[in-house]
Amino acid sequence: MIKGYAGRILDVDLGTRSFSFKPLDEAIAKLYLGGKGYGTRLLYDLTPAGIDPLGPENPLIFATGPLNGSLAPQSNRFAVVCKSPLTGGIGNAACGGSFAFGLKKAGIDILIVRNQSPTPLRLEMDGDRDSVIFLDATDLWGLGTRATQEALGKGRNHAVIGPAGENLVLYAGIVSDERIAGRTGVGAVMGSKCLKAISVTGTRKLELDDQAKFNDYTKWLRKLFRAHPVLGEKLRRHGTMGIVNTTNARNILPTRNFKHGHHDDAMSVSGEYLEDHGLVGVKSSCIHCPVACGREVTVEGAGRVKGPEYETAALLGTNLDIPDLRWVNEWNFLADDLGMDSISLGVTLGFAMELQEKGLLQSGLTFGDATGISAMIQDIAHRRGLGNDLADGVKRMSARHGGADFAMQVKGLELSAYDPRGSYAQGVEYATSNRGGCHVQGASMYFESTGPLTIDPQSLNLKAEIPVVQQNLACAINSMVLCIFTTYGMIPKQVHELDPKGHLHRTITFLFERSGPLYRLLTKLKLAPVTWFEKWLTHITGQTITSGHLQEIGERIFNLERMYNLREGLTGADDTLPHRMLHESTFPHLDSGHPLLQLLPRYYEIRGWDERGVPLQRTLDRLQVRT
Amino acid sequence: MSITIELTYDMAKALGVHRLEVEGTPTLRQVQALTRELFGAETEAFDKLTRVTALVVNGVLASRTLGLDTPLRDGDRVSFLKAAAGG
Repeated sequence: MIKGYAGRILDVDLGTRSFSFKPLDEAIAKLYLGGKGYGTRLLYDLTPAGIDPLGPENPLIFATGPLNGSLAPQSNRFAVVCKSPLTGGIGNAACGGSFAFGLKKAGIDILIVRNQSPTPLRLEMDGDRDSVIFLDATDLWGLGTRATQEALGKGRNHAVIGPAGENLVLYAGIVSDERIAGRTGVGAVMGSKCLKAISVTGTRKLELDDQAKFNDYTKWLRKLFRAHPVLGEKLRRHGTMGIVNTTNARNILPTRNFKHGHHDDAMSVSGEYLEDHGLVGVKSSCIHCPVACGREVTVEGAGRVKGPEYETAALLGTNLDIPDLRWVNEWNFLADDLGMDSISLGVTLGFAMELQEKGLLQSGLTFGDATGISAMIQDIAHRRGLGNDLADGVKRMSARHGGADFAMQVKGLELSAYDPRGSYAQGVEYATSNRGGCHVQGASMYFESTGPLTIDPQSLNLKAEIPVVQQNLACAINSMVLCIFTTYGMIPKQVHELDPKGHLHRTITFLFERSGPLYRLLTKLKLAPVTWFEKWLTHITGQTITSGHLQEIGERIFNLERMYNLREGLTGADDTLPHRMLHESTFPHLDSGHPLLQLLPRYYEIRGWDERGVPLQRTLDRLQVRT
Repeated sequence: MSITIELTYDMAKALGVHRLEVEGTPTLRQVQALTRELFGAETEAFDKLTRVTALVVNGVLASRTLGLDTPLRDGDRVSFLKAAAGG
């Protein structure tokens, strides 16, 4: 077996209450690494087309990768893969916490959970005894994710759902510690199986190909990360909310259901403001992570809890026209404890407010008014009253009540908090993302709107190229499985220290904007490992991985996801943005929205897809994607 | 002609206000000078706080237009911008 893997897949059947260990397929591991790559391969192979995402045929796949358990910084993440009940296409979500570490210590690379239990159940897995115990979870059913994990105790690592998952809220997530695999409704799939919690323990040691080289390199890299302006300073000091004032200045901060990109009082939900008002601690939340981007705040009745992320502050704050941290902290806690994605939640609440404003639905929710929102979040999680409607997300709501033009979703997944009208590459990324409107499938906005070195976000230059490279890289990172924040380290400290008004900065930006061909060439080279992604993989697995290999692996995964979506009935027509994004301008110098139709053909061409967005056979052959 | 100036958090903290409404500032250069003046004797603080700060007009980087010579129009919003990373 390649080093870095435990070499085992644990296959659990909740219907028959049976399990078996199977060997990890080395050939698949070489092609897809692990995480969402290997998980997608399994999903594709294990299921026929057209299954019910909430039916027994939909497997729930928890997948680690070769970096998990290695003590590499920011590497304790797992991927969850299944058919999404929200989009009908590929469902996946990544999560920090400690569960990935637990799985690897138990000698489990991948856990497949199949079938359904008729009654609430929890699993206890012991990797040292190779045992899986099926336990009644009736006493835990209905509990929040925090109380559930407290009841399960500290001796094991857990992945649990809250009431939102139990009640099949289509954007329910799976929680490990205080982190959540939030997107695409993976928690609803776990709920459909009547599976409340999975606990794992083990003491196995991960074998690396070259432990000494790995240790030396990682030690050096930790120092580099600690001295880095983003990883060592900004994220640690202000968390991800430290970007609020930047997106606001750039006019891409969702405000009143994305009607505007700027809010006059956005500063009140910024990381800097939190630091001065109500921050009670900084916490990692993810085992062995030196960055510690997590915040700790106090919520009345709950005590010290994990604070909000940027997405939550934006979508439950400015997007609802309620830029008030007291509320954002409370609603963030409710979302985490009830076990649901705060991005989809914020967008859905904003949509309900606009429906109310336009007289299409008497939701009782109004922009700028916090009244009733806490109760509505509870109602959503328990599918009570109008909450039952909001629990289905904005695409289904717009089919019932109208308002499709301002339903902020792609492929059924609610948009993240970067308005693509001021970030064209990000818009292409949203439109083409296989799981729908999500920002962490590439994070192109960093190179055009928020980072220290940005190309013109509203020109067409590189707006098809950047998303391809970034999506491929993100696929590979999510298959190692590593935190995507490690990519921030790629821009060196010296660039962060340049005066953006100065000549040197302008010169570098000028060159960056003209670097398309060079950029593409660099991503194809297979000479030697350069970045930490490649070096870690090489030291751990013993396979020489270069940037070219990494791009190829990511591209393979992206294309397999695409083939899965096509198989499940999605088409190129789903590669789009909400009407509001395409036709309403938020910039005074422009009279239209995102120019997606001008960029998609080029994007398809670079991908090696036909004009309908279908991968050409030669592309699949080149990438060894079997369908 | 009325212009809105939005400061970074650190600048706002130093001045005790995060948004300014000013009249008669036809270029960015004048906006920058006026903001610097507000720091009074603390111009060093201004220089330090704006060392890695870009200027943005209605969401568009001034370096994309005419830099500090960018002309302003009534109702424009000028922001001091710091690069950041989120997720």
